[in-house]
Amino acid sequence: MAKGTLTSLVPYVTPALVRQEISERIVPPVTDIYETADAFVVKLDLPGANKDSIKLHIESNTLVVQAEVKSEEEKFLVYSEIGKKRYYREFNLGDGIDTENVTAQFEDGVLTITLPKTEKVKAREIKIQ
Amino acid sequence: MALVRWNPSREVASFPSDIFNIQQEINRMFDNFFRGWKEEDTSLSTWAPAVDIAEQNDAYIVKVELPGVNKDDVKVTLENNVLTIRGEKKLEKEIKKEDYHRIERSYGSFNRSFTLPSTVKSDKIDASYKDGVLTITLPKAEEAKPKQIDVKVK
Repeated sequence: MAKGTLTSLVPYVTPALVRQEISERIVPPVTDIYETADAFVVKLDLPGANKDSIKLHIESNTLVVQAEVKSEEEKFLVYSEIGKKRYYREFNLGDGIDTENVTAQFEDGVLTITLPKTEKVKAREIKIQ
Repeated sequence: MALVRWNPSREVASFPSDIFNIQQEINRMFDNFFRGWKEEDTSLSTWAPAVDIAEQNDAYIVKVELPGVNKDDVKVTLENNVLTIRGEKKLEKEIKKEDYHRIERSYGSFNRSFTLPSTVKSDKIDASYKDGVLTITLPKAEEAKPKQIDVKVK
């Protein structure tokens, strides 16, 4: 089929497709961070990431997250905002995080990392005498 | 020459009035710039998910990044050859706004539309959701049958 018909697939006004011959981009995933009574929760959008490719490690108060995205159709792209990429982002961790008990789960392209607070920084109710 | 006490207001008053317009312009620029920030009201904002379109011999494949979106909250429709992906990503209700330290992810309703070439089998469109990516497969056809259909997201 003629490639010419494809222009109609593209939205009305769009940035031009940059054909940097499939050069891989390193993308910092967008992240939400919130606090609960017991932990800090970090949520990263890693759409398309292969669960097995996600690497998570903590080294001297730095949390490093990286993941690979597998894409089979990359050669046939006619319009691209996603392209070939991998994810990488670092986070500085303050004191008061129990780095031994960090947990993570990956669901629907979202990595949720739970960083428990140490007993020291947990909010405590103070009784008024 | 006698020393005259410096009065800043006199100096300002002597500026051409344009300077105040510039001030307004800058304020407006900042307002517009920060309007895009999520802090304002995440529940009402709209966003556009990133999309890749690939062509294969027998089909077009549209990939839409929708991480953390419940697939029941995604609606894919085809009407008059326009493929529309719309839906909503909701903030987690159990977390209070003041407990957030940082919000970069997009929330609210999203919407993307594409005009399909008339050579797509509109009744054979298939959509699936995996690892935060919605993949829509549009098989090529000789003729199009204009009608509205709902595409089920698996």
